[in-house]
Amino acid sequence: MIKITNLEKIYRTEEVETVALNKLSIEVKGGEFVAVMGPSGCGKSTLLNILGLLDDPDAGSFVFNGIEVAKFNERKRADLRKHNIGFVFQSFNLIDELTVFENVELPLIYTGVKSADRKKRVEEVLDKVQIMHRRNHYPQQLSGGQQQRVAVARAVVNSPKLILADEPTGNLDSSNGNEVMQMLTDLNEQGTTIVMVTHSEHDARYSHRIIRMLDGQTVLENIMV
Amino acid sequence: MIKNYFKIAIRNLLRHRLISFINLFGLTVGFTCCLLILTYILNELSYDRYNKNADNIYRITRTFYNGNGDATLKLSTISPPFGYYLPTDFPEIQKMTRLLNIGTTSLRYKDKLLNEQDVYCADENIFDVFTIKVLKGNPATALKDPFCVMLTEETAKKYFGDEDPINKVLRGNNQFDLKVTGVFKNFPSNAHLHPDILISFNTLKDSAVYGEENLRKNWGNNSFLTYIMLPENYNVKNMEARFPAFLDKHMAGQEYIGQQASKFTKLDLQKLTDIHLHSHTDYEAEPNGDIKRVYIFSAIALIILLIACINYMNLSTARSSLRAREIGIRKVIGARKKELILQFLGESVLLTWAAILIAFGLLYVVLPWLNTVSGQNLSIDILLKWQVLLPLLLSPIIVGALAGLYPALFMSSFQPIKTLKGLFKVGGSNISFRKVLVVTQFAISIILIITTVIVFQQLKFMQNASLGYNKDHIITMAYSAQLNNGYESFRNTLLQNPDIKEVGRSSRIPTGRLLDGMDAYAPGNDSMIPVKADIRYVAADYDFIPVYGIQMAEGRNFSREYGTDTSNFILNEAAVKAIGWKTSQETVGKNFRYDNMDGHIIGVMKDFHFESLHQTIAPLILKMPAPVPNQTYYNAISIKISGQHLASTLSTLKQTWEKYQPDLPYQYTFLDENFDKLYAAEQTQETIFATFACIAIFIACLGLFGLSAFAISQRIKEIGIRKVLGANVSGIVGLLSKDFLMLVGIASVLAFPIAWYAMNNWLKDFAYRIDIQWWVFLIAGIAAALIAFVTVSFQAIKAAMVNPVKSLRTE
Ligand SMILES: Nc1ncnc2c1ncn2[C@@H]1O[C@H](COP(=O)(O)OP(=O)(O)OP(=O)(O)O)[C@@H](O)[C@H]1O
Ligand SMILES: [Mg+2]
Repeated sequence: MIKITNLEKIYRTEEVETVALNKLSIEVKGGEFVAVMGPSGCGKSTLLNILGLLDDPDAGSFVFNGIEVAKFNERKRADLRKHNIGFVFQSFNLIDELTVFENVELPLIYTGVKSADRKKRVEEVLDKVQIMHRRNHYPQQLSGGQQQRVAVARAVVNSPKLILADEPTGNLDSSNGNEVMQMLTDLNEQGTTIVMVTHSEHDARYSHRIIRMLDGQTVLENIMV
Repeated sequence: MIKNYFKIAIRNLLRHRLISFINLFGLTVGFTCCLLILTYILNELSYDRYNKNADNIYRITRTFYNGNGDATLKLSTISPPFGYYLPTDFPEIQKMTRLLNIGTTSLRYKDKLLNEQDVYCADENIFDVFTIKVLKGNPATALKDPFCVMLTEETAKKYFGDEDPINKVLRGNNQFDLKVTGVFKNFPSNAHLHPDILISFNTLKDSAVYGEENLRKNWGNNSFLTYIMLPENYNVKNMEARFPAFLDKHMAGQEYIGQQASKFTKLDLQKLTDIHLHSHTDYEAEPNGDIKRVYIFSAIALIILLIACINYMNLSTARSSLRAREIGIRKVIGARKKELILQFLGESVLLTWAAILIAFGLLYVVLPWLNTVSGQNLSIDILLKWQVLLPLLLSPIIVGALAGLYPALFMSSFQPIKTLKGLFKVGGSNISFRKVLVVTQFAISIILIITTVIVFQQLKFMQNASLGYNKDHIITMAYSAQLNNGYESFRNTLLQNPDIKEVGRSSRIPTGRLLDGMDAYAPGNDSMIPVKADIRYVAADYDFIPVYGIQMAEGRNFSREYGTDTSNFILNEAAVKAIGWKTSQETVGKNFRYDNMDGHIIGVMKDFHFESLHQTIAPLILKMPAPVPNQTYYNAISIKISGQHLASTLSTLKQTWEKYQPDLPYQYTFLDENFDKLYAAEQTQETIFATFACIAIFIACLGLFGLSAFAISQRIKEIGIRKVLGANVSGIVGLLSKDFLMLVGIASVLAFPIAWYAMNNWLKDFAYRIDIQWWVFLIAGIAAALIAFVTVSFQAIKAAMVNPVKSLRTE
């Protein structure tokens, strides 16, 4: 599903050049659950942003579902993204002005799903993450765990093939964290490919494979049994 | 999708109440001003359009040239022989109709005795040309016979109440009887003239009134409004090209003896619908509007709207960092740039729509105000036509797009990863763009302040200028020939009251116009030779000069002690100069011929402002005509009073009047009132300028208030750290205000030349005007800086007072 080869990303600010990704090559197969680990600043988020088509690499190749996307323009990336990729962030990133229901509905609006279908699909996923009773609340009225469940619901409502999660449990206590990890595992079991960045060895154990990074390169891959 | 945008828009507006309020308020005020001004402009543009044939009706004007070929006088009225010859010489004229204002006329029915101003003699076909509804009588024949009269509904009601006015008889000036033959609907308020009473034109043929011969031969009596109707799409150039030959043919041997008439006089065709805004002749049926005013007010409306739009742009971009996260999330989820642009434009259009709807409501409240200050009779109805309403209701799309496009483009280009990363600062080009906007607003405000001050100064200058005569405590009344015999005794009776100082008669009174002129001859080497300058004429008796306290430069006034003064002349200094004489001393005693009458110049008056300060002081000649039975050259009595015991003075006046002329209405005016009317247009302009300037500055301040609130909120942490390090409140206020004050400085530099140029042009309309003073600019700059400082420091002080521990903890 994902194949990156010799991917490079360099941040240039005034005088400093930071090599965030240094000739990185990774492959993720459909249906896999991959965890990415490594010390702070090693390029994990950068990698995830590029995988999520939020940012473009400076060099190297990125093949997504058999298509070379490294040189896609913003519009093409947005179109590919909204149909195929869901995101879960450490800081939830819900829109404060919208209710739970409306937040989850938003991706469907952007992909042009009809109103009646939207309602059905949103209710389905809200049910799945057990937040249906809070559907008319605003994000501020929810606990962190509840917010992250909404964020997960929003990430999956479009039934994306790939979910990218950047420290999804980083702001949660362990029981809420476990709940979210369980939800990701369930999704993976239903066939969704997941790439997750985490600092927690505990969370990493939910995955099939751990990619360890250092200074923009992979240093080790552990296959979980 | 739309619903979602709408929802987000409303919630966003509610969330940031202060900024939404400032934006909504600014746009609402902006739109209210625009609607007000639009009402005014549409009304101005609608003048005389009520006529079915409006596009094919023309008025003939006459311009006079002196011996040097300079135009000296332009009148909207022409003399009757033109009307006599025109239809035969120009067969393309389909219809011609004439109106002659016969001035103040007293009308009596039973015990109702009133002075009427808007009395016109009118050709019988007037209703074929002007589309006015005739309510009673036959429009085709009602004005056929002499001594017939038609009245407006209102006038008929005034005299006859509920009785049927038809065939009733009104006594005019106690001299002639007029039979009412019809009633017509008032001329609409957007007509350039409003006759109340129409007397049949054929009445003029009566030799006791004017005479058939005069209608054919009196080329000098230029008082007849003459309208013609031409075929559809007729090229008027065609007709105007034949006017000179027409003049030479008919006027030969009449007015300009031995000379080509077309060198001294010119006829022009003026489109009926151009009269109100484009005609600036020296005599108009009623005061007109001015296309310049239409332009000025349109500019003001657009400027105010622009300021409101700038507020929107400013505040939206400033606030955009607060929305950065929302934008980032939307992009991550799959929003395209286009969709975000539409979303933000939707918000601005929505807000603008709300603004225009509220503005319509406000219009109902403020329109009466505008009517009061401008003396207009504007109605909101003029907007309530789909041709106007539809574009108006669609205008928020354009205005909203104008205000919202920059913020939309700006915000939609945020990079999602950056915005989601956390602290996102809006910076760079966006800040400098915002500075440009603030500078624009302040430059406009400063221009408006300067403009207002200069208009005010000019107005004060005109009102307080030394006129060369004393306008205070003067009462004027209409004079009629019926008083000819009793006049001396009437005057003596009045003078017995010690509060009545002087009583004099004249053909025209100061504050009016000087429009009469005759041929003048001055002594040449061996014979009298024509004077090339145009000298205006006023008939005045012994007491005119004392009543007005006019100073003599040389010689003497007319005097009862000299029997021959009816053939003598008094000039003003301007006339002496125009004739080409060096001094007043050499002038007195010279022979002079004016209007074919020979006499001597017995005195020279110092120049005084007979007319308003819009006009230069015209060369003037006073003559005291010998009395003619049942006729008069005088139209007005001027009475100088002490100003004390006003009630008893007026009662003396009333009793005396009623004793000597019981058949004429007792009516008087204070000269000051006339004087105030001279500058009414400027007064209105001043009020409106001042009001709109305040509104513009207010909206700009609101924007600055919001902007500074925002700018400061972004620096809360910096302020906290500075305070911890020892900065005091005033230091911080200075720090925060400095940037804004600098913008005001730049705005001033931009505003000064523009304001100077505009006001220099405006002042050119006045023959006597103030010099533009540099300190006005300084004051305007300082005022703007002060306003900006107060606005900003309001926020700055608040921020500087906060306990730094608090602001640092929130981080
Ligand atoms: N916008 C940017 N401009 C400049 N340098 C950047 C930018 N974003 C990231 N970097 C640099 O790139 C490197 C990789 O950053 P990245 O955010 O991918 O690290 P990370 O592995 O996600 O760290 P963490 O575990 O702390 O989230 C870091 O050295 C960082 O300083
Ligand atoms: Mg990271």
